[in-house]
Amino acid sequence: MIPDRFRLRNYRQKVTYLAAGILIAAVTLYLALPIVALFLRMTPGLFFATLNNPDVVSALWLSLFTTCITLTIVVLVGTPFAYFHSRYSYPGKMIVDTLIDLPLVLPPAVAGVALLVLWGRVGILGMYLNMYGITIAFTTLAVIMAQIFVASPFYLRQAKSLFEQLDPAYEQTARTLGASSLRILTRVTVPMTAGGLISGAVMTFGRALGEFGATIMFAGNLPGVTQTMPLAVYVGMEGTNINVGLTISILLVIISFGIMIAVRLIQRQEAKHA
Amino acid sequence: MKETFTPTKLALIGMICCLLFVSALFAGCTQSTTTSLATATPTAAPVTPAPTPVVVATTAAPTTVATTATPKPSFTPSENNIVVYTAASLTGASNTIGSSFNKAYPSTTVSFDLDGTQALKTQIENGAYADNFISASNSYTNTLNNEGYFVAGSVQPLATNYIIVILPPANTANIQSLADLAKPGVKIAMEQKAVPAGTASLAVIANLANDTLSQSWANATMSNVVTYETSEPAVAAKVALGEVDAGFVYQSTATAAPSGTYTTLTIPQKDNYLQTYTIAVLKGSKNQAAAAEFEQFMLSSAGQQILAQYGFSAP
Repeated sequence: MIPDRFRLRNYRQKVTYLAAGILIAAVTLYLALPIVALFLRMTPGLFFATLNNPDVVSALWLSLFTTCITLTIVVLVGTPFAYFHSRYSYPGKMIVDTLIDLPLVLPPAVAGVALLVLWGRVGILGMYLNMYGITIAFTTLAVIMAQIFVASPFYLRQAKSLFEQLDPAYEQTARTLGASSLRILTRVTVPMTAGGLISGAVMTFGRALGEFGATIMFAGNLPGVTQTMPLAVYVGMEGTNINVGLTISILLVIISFGIMIAVRLIQRQEAKHA
Repeated sequence: MKETFTPTKLALIGMICCLLFVSALFAGCTQSTTTSLATATPTAAPVTPAPTPVVVATTAAPTTVATTATPKPSFTPSENNIVVYTAASLTGASNTIGSSFNKAYPSTTVSFDLDGTQALKTQIENGAYADNFISASNSYTNTLNNEGYFVAGSVQPLATNYIIVILPPANTANIQSLADLAKPGVKIAMEQKAVPAGTASLAVIANLANDTLSQSWANATMSNVVTYETSEPAVAAKVALGEVDAGFVYQSTATAAPSGTYTTLTIPQKDNYLQTYTIAVLKGSKNQAAAAEFEQFMLSSAGQQILAQYGFSAP
């Protein structure tokens, strides 16, 4: 009796391990192999040679420039927004909550079309700006606006939930000591949630860097002005220069890895403090 | 009891997940072409209000007499359906071509995968399934032909097209001639240089610069380009929206558009670039007979008439 049962359990356990092993290997390979293939398609020599290609250089700098501006705006505007949003209740708060999440589920191409029909030269608001000689569509500003629209929810959601979860006792203590709202935000709330905020910001940065659909719709595709790295990959792979496409893809993979490692390190740091 | 059950459950769940995963992988492999089609076909629909979109036959085709008893999903490369990789500039004509062909050959339906020829070429080179290829570029056709993708002797000239400049009807930039394209502040949309229409537009600008206009005109015009689109219809769309002041497109686009959509600036034929469209049957086609029929139809007077109706010239 006992050895039988033991054997059965042992067998079941083996099946479990086997199934788990296959599952983990399958998922890992499925996610990792495409990335590996990307690196295998390029030789290091060709990669470094293509790095000097003017299209690669301009796309890289444009992407870094626009995503940095996007990130700065999102953090500077998003932090106080998320703070007030989480601290006060106001009519239509549910609607605002939903709108924050909307760009996450909205196809980026749709976001681009929506931005174009609002801010474009004949758009609902754009036509008035056009009277004053201000054009937004097909400029670097359009790239940034598209990135903010698509990528800001990552930071806003994170900041909102961090502020909501923070024990109100800290802020109340600060308030009883006479600190102003701004001072509480900058001296208490933000420092206490800094780790989470940074990882939210990093995710926003990553999403903005990868922005494609809204950018090509709203900002167009002009090297040096609106052609960001993902657009340069697309154009390169369409046959202009496949090496450019592959090189930028590899660059983006490296940057993405950097982003993920940064988030991991911040989260570990966070865990230590907690 | 709990202890003995949990691992079994786990194993079961794990195995089911594995099965699902593997089947998803297979499904992903076999359907990669179909998904691209499913997304590509609807884009064709809204452009022209064609009679009834019989192209995707299974969804709604009450007009066809000879519908087969078992309605197979038409977008899979089955025996009754051919997949035509088609240059995006034929977007407008594709619905009419599909329904007319289906009337002539009731047992075969046509699915169009419409994109810039340069993108289609890359897709074919990377293993995409297609029965026919309609290219807007001789050079891409030749490349693929040399790489051995086409059935020998199937590559035929299909139509020709010239470049034209279209302006939004409002014409707020007040462009009256080709020379005006160089005025400061004019916004021009063009195809990127790998798009056949982009190659042709660049050639046209160079020809004009050498002939009636100047190199400084060409430089100023090029610096007025605000976007290099990835297909010809995308340029037409930006002009139709009024977001740019001018766009370089094919004559067929201007001809086929409802009157009042664009104002046009014609380019003298001596400076223009004759774009030759070609059609071919792919070697990898599982339905070469039907694909050859489609090619014959396109080259026949019926097919040529449709192309003429949409502004394409005979080869």
